[in-house]
Amino acid sequence: MARVAHQMAFDNPNITADVVEATEFPQLVQRYQVSAVPKTVINERIEIIGAVPEAQFLGEVMKTQAT
Amino acid sequence: MGLIAERDVQSLKRKFQEALTEDVRLAYFTQKESSLQLPGHECLACRETRELLDEVAGLSGKVHVEIYDFVANEDLAKQYKVDKIPATVFLGPAGGRLRFFGEPSGYEFATLVEDIIDVSRGATGLAEKTKKDLRTLTRPVHIQVFVTPT
Repeated sequence: MARVAHQMAFDNPNITADVVEATEFPQLVQRYQVSAVPKTVINERIEIIGAVPEAQFLGEVMKTQAT
Repeated sequence: MGLIAERDVQSLKRKFQEALTEDVRLAYFTQKESSLQLPGHECLACRETRELLDEVAGLSGKVHVEIYDFVANEDLAKQYKVDKIPATVFLGPAGGRLRFFGEPSGYEFATLVEDIIDVSRGATGLAEKTKKDLRTLTRPVHIQVFVTPT
């Protein structure tokens, strides 16, 4: 997930992708209710738990573009 | 004894030698390293992350790590929207959009290495379909991936 997130950010200048080491930022773990990793949060509202295929990840990212 | 095992140092040097084309610049935001830390302001991984990035820069003359103080270089931190440390940010063609918060060790070390290669070559290995769909993305997207080292 981390790798694909960074690749997407490299390929599109509208995307910023952060890889966050959960154990070092307990306040974010609490805020985003991270109970298992990887957990991906897109625009504060879309969540993906666990690793998913690239196409599925892309689908979730593209949901942010709907009006 | 470094953070990167000696056998990995040799294979990574070869890998970078073969794969890197353009120079890659990384900005590392940290805090002053001292034995005295104010409660609530400890950055336990800051020193080790700096050491790791120093070792990564030592693998290739094309990898450059710029070290900034999160407080003293506040303007730069703001420019790259760095709100916590340790933070490692890819500059240049990556435009500050590829970031690591925390130490990129363990599993994420491989991500760091592959990212360096992508940025150097100016291309990712995403599927053509993914790249095509991404070209239609025009609104800002912020992705946060929470990981652990193992």
